[in-house]
Amino acid sequence: MRFATDTGGTFTDLVVEDDEGAIRLYKAATVPSDPVKGVLDALTLAAEDRGMDLPSMLAKGELFIHGTTHAINAIITGRTARTALLVTKGHRDMMIFREGGRLEPFNHAALFPKPFVPRSLTFEVEERLLAGGEVQTGLDEAHLLGVIGQLRAAKIEAVAVCLLWSTMNPAHELRVGELLAEHLPGVPVSLSHAVNPTLREFRRASSTAIDASLKPIMSRYMGGLTQRLLDAGFAGEVMVLTSSGGLMAGQDVAEHPVRIINSGPSMAPIAGRHYTNLDAPGSSVIVADTGGTTYDISLVRDGIVPMTRELWIGEPILGQLVGYPSVDVKSVGAGGGSIASVDAGGLLHVGPASAGSVPGPVCYSRGGTEPTVTDASVVLGYVDPDFFLGGKMKLDHAGAYAAIAEKIAKPLNISVELAAWHILQLATQNMVQAIVDITVAQGIDPARSVLIGGGGAAGLNSVFIARKLGCETLIIPETGAALSAAGALMSDIVSEYSASLFLSTASFDFGKARAALSNLRSQCDAFAARSGADAGSTDISVIAEARYENQVWDIDVPVPGGRLDTDADVAAFREAFDRAHETIFTIRDSGSQVEIVGLRATVRCKLREEANFRLASEEGTVDRPATRKTFFEDSGWTDAAIHYLEKLPVDQDNHGPAIIESNFTTIVVDPKATFRRTPSGSLIIHP
Amino acid sequence: MTKQMNGAELALLNSAFEGVVRKMSNTLLRTGRSGVINRGKDFSCCIVTRGCELLAVADSLPIHVLSGPDMMAEAMHRFHPTLKAGDAYLNNSPYHGCSHPADHTIIVPVIDDAGVHHFSVVAKAHQADIGNSEPTTYMPAARDVYQEGALIFPAVKVQSDYEDIEDIIRMCEMRIRVPKQWRGDFLAMIGAARIGERELIELAREHGWDKLHMFERQWFDYSETRMAEAIRAMPSGKVTGTSRHDPFPGLPEDGLTVKAEVEIDATEGRIVVDLTDNADCVPSGVNLSEACARTSAMIGVFNSLDPKVPKNAGAFRRLDIRLREGCVVGKTPHPFSCSISTTNMADRVANAVQTGIATLNGPWGMAEVGAGLAPSLGVISGIDPRTKQVYVNQIMLGFSAGAATSVGDAWQTTAHLGNAGMCYIDGVELAELYQPMVLRKREFLMDTEGAGRYRGASSTVVEFGPVRGTFDVGYCSDGHENPPKGVCGGGVGGKSDQWIETRDGERKFLSPIGVNPVGRDEMLIAVSTGGGGYGSPMERDADVVAEDVREGWISSERAKSVYGVVLSADGAVDAAATAELRRL
Repeated sequence: MRFATDTGGTFTDLVVEDDEGAIRLYKAATVPSDPVKGVLDALTLAAEDRGMDLPSMLAKGELFIHGTTHAINAIITGRTARTALLVTKGHRDMMIFREGGRLEPFNHAALFPKPFVPRSLTFEVEERLLAGGEVQTGLDEAHLLGVIGQLRAAKIEAVAVCLLWSTMNPAHELRVGELLAEHLPGVPVSLSHAVNPTLREFRRASSTAIDASLKPIMSRYMGGLTQRLLDAGFAGEVMVLTSSGGLMAGQDVAEHPVRIINSGPSMAPIAGRHYTNLDAPGSSVIVADTGGTTYDISLVRDGIVPMTRELWIGEPILGQLVGYPSVDVKSVGAGGGSIASVDAGGLLHVGPASAGSVPGPVCYSRGGTEPTVTDASVVLGYVDPDFFLGGKMKLDHAGAYAAIAEKIAKPLNISVELAAWHILQLATQNMVQAIVDITVAQGIDPARSVLIGGGGAAGLNSVFIARKLGCETLIIPETGAALSAAGALMSDIVSEYSASLFLSTASFDFGKARAALSNLRSQCDAFAARSGADAGSTDISVIAEARYENQVWDIDVPVPGGRLDTDADVAAFREAFDRAHETIFTIRDSGSQVEIVGLRATVRCKLREEANFRLASEEGTVDRPATRKTFFEDSGWTDAAIHYLEKLPVDQDNHGPAIIESNFTTIVVDPKATFRRTPSGSLIIHP
Repeated sequence: MTKQMNGAELALLNSAFEGVVRKMSNTLLRTGRSGVINRGKDFSCCIVTRGCELLAVADSLPIHVLSGPDMMAEAMHRFHPTLKAGDAYLNNSPYHGCSHPADHTIIVPVIDDAGVHHFSVVAKAHQADIGNSEPTTYMPAARDVYQEGALIFPAVKVQSDYEDIEDIIRMCEMRIRVPKQWRGDFLAMIGAARIGERELIELAREHGWDKLHMFERQWFDYSETRMAEAIRAMPSGKVTGTSRHDPFPGLPEDGLTVKAEVEIDATEGRIVVDLTDNADCVPSGVNLSEACARTSAMIGVFNSLDPKVPKNAGAFRRLDIRLREGCVVGKTPHPFSCSISTTNMADRVANAVQTGIATLNGPWGMAEVGAGLAPSLGVISGIDPRTKQVYVNQIMLGFSAGAATSVGDAWQTTAHLGNAGMCYIDGVELAELYQPMVLRKREFLMDTEGAGRYRGASSTVVEFGPVRGTFDVGYCSDGHENPPKGVCGGGVGGKSDQWIETRDGERKFLSPIGVNPVGRDEMLIAVSTGGGGYGSPMERDADVVAEDVREGWISSERAKSVYGVVLSADGAVDAAATAELRRL
């Protein structure tokens, strides 16, 4: 048996795959003060469902995969270690200058961000390298020992070291690391050239500081998780989801915590790729995961999940830039809990403020008074107040109606159902805009892509989103309500290694390229050997971070065959670069040289053979009415057919208006759209 | 006649228009070739209506867009009565709506299949070089546009049928330094404008042009309502603010004071800014283009208003900005030079407006933002000894200048008023990779903040010099004699300075303007201005002052003498001694 859990803000999702390959979903409330409890609660639900006790079920488990927000939450809530930053002399304000930039020029209430490591804990090291890595000023060890004394006096719990040009020549950083280990034993240290070897010292410093600051807390967390699973009877292997969409052995997390910052959301595109391959192979994919408060968008282009170094914790510019490569996931504050309001000038707003799960939408009857997207869905008849989450929770229709009437319909001077319709449409527009922003940055044309709707609230408006984007196909997978956890079961053990270097097609340095590539490859091989994978199930791919001469924003381009040994290899790479640049920016510049500023090798070891990941079929019948009154702007109140997702006949074409329900979600199909359930279990909708 | 759109439909279309502009900006940032664009982000995109009114901006530098794109579009219509799909126009003429000649602007009229013009999209970017007589885009000492030397394009057609007009390109390539870099930036600007054009046509396909024009009218009305409301929340009154520019060539020996008369009519919801009572144009590059004069007054006003008011022609209906022909901060006629029109005098105008408003009773206005442009924001040029290639580029090595407001401490990295902190700062490693230089130091200086209940920015110091070879740095640094003033009892921010440190360590003070050579083993030391403080420093929360001391922004001596906060040996506030001192 295999277990995959994803701890989200509201729910902890669990996907269990039994030895026959059938899978089942479970959701338990997340316990913010003790996330492991939420995991154990979900596992207990699964055991009960099988009529077993927890230890007997866990005893059958061979693999436990964990997606966790523990690291990112520790940063958001400031519960990280007391961390010092050591930098090159003259540059102690690196974390204050950052990279400049601002979002709202006239909003003076958005205050200048505080540095991740305060000035009082930032120390200078007497040394300096130049751009090529040559030493301008040697490392002053006597001075450094004095600094280490200050660190001890300041009761520092973790140390990050980021020296200029350490990626070209790590000697000084390595020596600082040795002296810290010797004179400050037991205090975890992160060195920037090892954590994140990339040009742009601020990003490197930021990922290194985040890494160091998380080491103590993630070491405790992983220790606790592993022990409590063991105590509960689980003797299999524990793995954790990484930001780059792979798996990492649980015992390695404490050494590299920055790698799991975006654990969880990184898995949605892996699942999206799987379901698209089954029902619409070859397409670009937009994966949208709708939660209660955020809407997460990720992509698959040519079978590859695009990565970014621009992951922010919190708001862009005002939050923390992680700087470490992560699956490109864009999150916007839009979801079922997004609050609708009308301003003094008569303009409707939806979000980014959210009612969250407490107090929640008005219809939850938990004290919420502001109308939300969920309330609008209840008023429109999309959600049956008596059958929310399969009837586990009753919703207050009258309350939702009154709130929208008073706060939206009245000031806009329109009917209540039209007000609810507009709330849902504006929320849709905000989501569409977010998709447009991320697809343009990655050069994907939404009109030629498949949209995957994941998350519990996806079904409410995914049809409208797909139509606005011009997508011809919308897929709602049967595991859509727990997309990330499902993706975790499909992923490989992955490790990434990178090198910062400078190569130009103007005069290509084959020696340098060969040395870097062979070094990366041997690190990959060593990892594969450690993982016990055989050669047949191991794959190594190489990405170059490249750009035209004088550009500074590089793009990721796969190196064909992972080789840059000959003129022909370089020509093939150049062609791949031109093509990628044209795809993303519509411009190809054959007259300019191409520069490579970094190489990243990814090694993937397959954990298993392909499986079909089908949901186990539910037993018994569900007693539901045949139709329900629902509202659409063009057709007014209309009778929509009600279907139960798992009972919907396969490969039969149906047309809207219809509502497709399951125990985890509700899918709305408006009168213009058609839909079909495929043999893979997914619902395909053509808007 | 179609029915009015409701507030929900308006919100929907507004989001779509803003999305188009963001798409344009993203393209320009990621494909630009010169550092000033792709590292500094010194560019802006916007959409103007067929009636030449500003409709949508996103992510832009205030001084670039509030006013200017409207006038540049008017010039395009005036000179080219028949616009065709596939046209693109280049405008950098300060006499025809552009901010200053360094801001090359591409305007593309968006035309439907029937040949009808509906909107114009605008992409404006500060160039690394524009062919001035010296290798810098800032020429404060230019007597006139002839000595300045740039090619001036008053809405000149540069593309027809989506193809470049090669004559114009060749002229630019013969005059602009590092022509390949300019050509790459030109391509990036054209690309951004074409993406805006394509997206608007797509939007019209979904909604129809009529609906987009209806949106435009209603959106302006909505914005006007919001603007009127924001003004009604202020007290009525008439105030005069002033701000003084340092002595520069062509200016009086003791500098030049800019005066702004601001009249707020809260009952009517209107604001008048009168700049007519100011000196005549001067034989210097500091004169303001009409676009910059108008915009800088607007910046001062919007810095004092609810930030939620949309910035577009609808909101501007509530503003009456009075300018005078031939005035240094008005409408500058040809051939006076407007070379540094976006920074020096423009910043003084905005400062005069917002510090004037701050004298009204209430939480309005803002202290003085520091003045530009220190050598750490200069234009660098030379021959790269590594490649033997000529290079020229504006560097963004370090800046602060932010002013405190009634709601909090300054945004440190504001750069200057017209920029508002929108530009990026060069990374040390990227700067050293792209220019043969070493950046020895970059940090904030202690005790240079504008003291106050809320702190103005601290000055920055940047020390840099060539690695092998030599280079030239052009700049025009105001704020040495007139550092940024505080308001409502707030203190003055740090002043600007610049020196050359010779190879034997001696420091020589440099002129505040010029194109200065920096020799082998020499260092240029550039100190930027800080920003003014807001409110009395004696009112600053004592615990926050203790944190300022702990974090090295101010010394414990200054905490005591200026803020009246006494700290004990462990750095905590000595409450009794502080209360005693603050009572005096």
